[in-house]
Amino acid sequence: MAAQKSAANRAASSRPHQQRTLSLIEALTLAESSIETMRKAIDPLNSEIYREFREIAQEIARAKSDIGGLQANDIRTHKIPEAGRELNAVVDATEEATHRIMECAETIMTADPSNPATYHNVINENVMAIFEACSFQDITGQRISRVVDTLEHIDKRVSKFAERIGIEDQDLELAIDDEEQKRGQRKKDLLLHGPQDESTAVSQDEIDKLLNA
Amino acid sequence: MAVDLSIPVLVVDDYKTMVRIIRNLLKQLGFSDVDDAADGTEALGKMQQRKYGLVISDWNMEPMTGYELLKEVRSDDGLNRTPFIMVTAESKTENVIAAKKAGVSNYIVKPFNAATLKAKIDAVFGD
Repeated sequence: MAAQKSAANRAASSRPHQQRTLSLIEALTLAESSIETMRKAIDPLNSEIYREFREIAQEIARAKSDIGGLQANDIRTHKIPEAGRELNAVVDATEEATHRIMECAETIMTADPSNPATYHNVINENVMAIFEACSFQDITGQRISRVVDTLEHIDKRVSKFAERIGIEDQDLELAIDDEEQKRGQRKKDLLLHGPQDESTAVSQDEIDKLLNA
Repeated sequence: MAVDLSIPVLVVDDYKTMVRIIRNLLKQLGFSDVDDAADGTEALGKMQQRKYGLVISDWNMEPMTGYELLKEVRSDDGLNRTPFIMVTAESKTENVIAAKKAGVSNYIVKPFNAATLKAKIDAVFGD
């Protein structure tokens, strides 16, 4: 601003007291001085803006790399559907085996003992069928192991991503949509916890004590 | 008081296998009249049509849970004296306390065996 003032003073000093039009040279001198003044003011701002943009660009590149590391597409299109198929297969196999075992048990329960030889055969055949049906455990065990591997894979990537991005628990709460919130509230209101593991479940004896208290 | 084995029993569970297991256990215990429903709404409808001597219900069902069914039954003057046993995998203390407050007759945690079922039925009928 000081330079601008002195250029204006110089221009003004060369004219008589009455108002007159500036010459082209005077106008250019004044403009040049103004540009110089402005450049000095803007230059530090420019470098500040450049630095900000460079940091933003670096942050975007880092986020892209983190998102790539998450392998979200692979998780969504392969890992989760595959885990779902495995679990459905487990449900089907256990259901089929349970029904087979119950059929055998029901046959044994209703078998006619009046003819010992026939009765003996019915029992033997159905006991063998129960053993055969129990073989589902081997295959379902392998399927569940694969699902556990998938969950560990997802857990590792999601945890790493959340850590790098700096996601906090309160951010997750904000991401819950209305439908999910309603389901959560229903579960809370109706005390739908599902099966507990042994460390948190109360035993039948403890339940009996609570009921009789 | 001896348990009247001819009473109609309503088993409420959305898992067919569990219905079949309880039906078979009840049959082994001597109960001959066993009916079933897949959730609280269906059970309530059946209870309004017929008088059951005992209800054995799961907790976690859709759309009406066993807990909601219990509260409906206890608030209905025509049904509120029906013995109601909860058979469930819900094994948290707060569930047991809530069921007790709602007026459950007994509470069995899954998995259970025939002896437990028999003991709880006997206890409900004062044996």
